[in-house]
Amino acid sequence: MSGDVVRQRHSLAGWWVPLAWLALLLALSLGMGLLEGPLRVIEPDSRDVLYVRASFLALLGQHVMVVGLASLLAVLLGVGGAVAVTRPAGRDFLPLVTQLASIGQTFPPVAVLALAVPALGFGTLPIVVALLLYGLLPIVRNTLAGIQGIDPGVHEAARGMGMTPGQILRQVELPLAAPVILAGVRTSVTINVATAAIGATVGASNLGDPIISGIVNGNTAYVLQGALLIGLLAITVDSAFERLQRRVVRQG
Amino acid sequence: MIELFDVTKRFGEEVAVDAISLRVQKGELCVLVGTSGCGKSTTLRMINRLIEHSDGEIHLDGQPVRTFDEVTLRRRIGYVIQNTGLFPHWTVARNIGLVPRLLKWPRAQVRERVETLMALLGLPIEEFAAKYPHQLSGGQAQRVGVARALAADPEILLMDEPFGALDPITREALQHELLDLQARLHKTIVFVTHDMDEALALADRLVVMRQGRIVQQGPPLELLHEPVDDFVASMLGGDARGLKEAALTRVRDRMLPLGPRLLAHERVAVDVPLNQALSLMLWHRVDRLTVVDDDDIPIGELSLRRLVGSKA
Ligand SMILES: Nc1ncnc2c1ncn2[C@@H]1O[C@H](COP(=O)(O)OP(=O)(O)OP(=O)(O)O)[C@@H](O)[C@H]1O
Ligand SMILES: [Mg+2]
Repeated sequence: MSGDVVRQRHSLAGWWVPLAWLALLLALSLGMGLLEGPLRVIEPDSRDVLYVRASFLALLGQHVMVVGLASLLAVLLGVGGAVAVTRPAGRDFLPLVTQLASIGQTFPPVAVLALAVPALGFGTLPIVVALLLYGLLPIVRNTLAGIQGIDPGVHEAARGMGMTPGQILRQVELPLAAPVILAGVRTSVTINVATAAIGATVGASNLGDPIISGIVNGNTAYVLQGALLIGLLAITVDSAFERLQRRVVRQG
Repeated sequence: MIELFDVTKRFGEEVAVDAISLRVQKGELCVLVGTSGCGKSTTLRMINRLIEHSDGEIHLDGQPVRTFDEVTLRRRIGYVIQNTGLFPHWTVARNIGLVPRLLKWPRAQVRERVETLMALLGLPIEEFAAKYPHQLSGGQAQRVGVARALAADPEILLMDEPFGALDPITREALQHELLDLQARLHKTIVFVTHDMDEALALADRLVVMRQGRIVQQGPPLELLHEPVDDFVASMLGGDARGLKEAALTRVRDRMLPLGPRLLAHERVAVDVPLNQALSLMLWHRVDRLTVVDDDDIPIGELSLRRLVGSKA
């Protein structure tokens, strides 16, 4: 019992890591001006070295929203799809779904954007679609692996004890697959934090804006500011998932 | 009571179980033996409808299993499998309480039942209730598997090589526990094993299967004495059948009361099986043993002649 309490405290303590990254991320979003000195050294020729067209905090908010929305949809679709094709009724579609998800990832997000813009117009929607497709594969693949990796004896026992298919899914399959699924979500979200930057090319304003604008204007300082914040966001998200995974694994 | 009437199972072209008929009375422990792939597990799983039979009828207490809702049916039948199939993310107590919870027993009643079963199977609650399956030894995990199967007090118990992966000592201990339980609970049990000694020790009715068919069934001694063919004879141990039979008979059944002769020096307990008594004679190079009771008091004697059951 006391061991459990100690471990609990330990796991709470671990959350300081992602929180520290988050604090650094927010601090830099608000106080990028503090880096003006070093940035000037890197980009001595430009008049402006600080990106000021929009506040970094607003860009960060947009970025998080786009990635969050796309990831939420990817989780719903990916986990739902993988669960559906591991049911007896949907088993015929298993190869199809696996293939679709692989294609989703080999298809470059830029190409998806290019195709989506004529259909969906400029702005946030095409980038959400692109990220959703791009992030689907790791989630589908891991959910399938997680469910298929369950000891057949456990499945046999669950059926043999008289659990309904729904009970088996909720009480046995999903909890046992959770660590693997979460690992897939982590990969998906982290990749998409970086990939979302290309949304700036189609008018979704996010942390990609300073990068695109820096490239267009030949201003390396702008690029650096965008890249720095995106990197910090990715690390924050990744370390938060790392903590989450530990929790799930411990319960499993 | 479980009844199978000409039950057949086909997987595509392959006939896994071929028109078998079998009746297991209430309170009877029926053991299925046979070579690998002969259809023992399939037979078991047709009874709780994990596999649907292709032909024939399976009745529980006179009712065709097909008329039951399969989930309801399975909750009424205890099921134990070789590698236990315990849920790794649940504690021992939660695993054991599974079926009562599925049946929506009140919480307090589930807890009480789990405690009763843990006590019944020699799993101290303080030590084991909160453990996870990966923290258990093989024998402990098997006990939990049996406890889980017994949890909702099912009349029928299906056991598929439940003690398969255990060392001989743990295995024998669990066999004795099963016999004890059976003496108290009078379940209707179908038990699959590859171990002939286990089969003989447990069976009220022994069923020998081969390639999906039942070759012979009956009380173990009957099969030992009158195997219908060489296959059954060799399944039952071939020339070692004499020792298998001796393992089923106790010293008590062959000893004579103390006579006028001097007590033999070597002693044997009254309720050990005859194969052990014979081993003692071989070991000590004697043909007579003094039979003693639990308190080591001589109560009779056993001669080699009596032991082998010589008529002369
Ligand atoms: N789900 C299935 N699909 C196809 N064939 C199956 C299936 N289950 C069993 N079989 C086949 O049916 C036959 C009987 O299998 P079963 O599992 O009943 O054998 P068993 O007597 O339990 O063998 P063992 O002693 O090795 O456990 C085997 O030939 C097996 O290949
Ligand atoms: Mg089998």
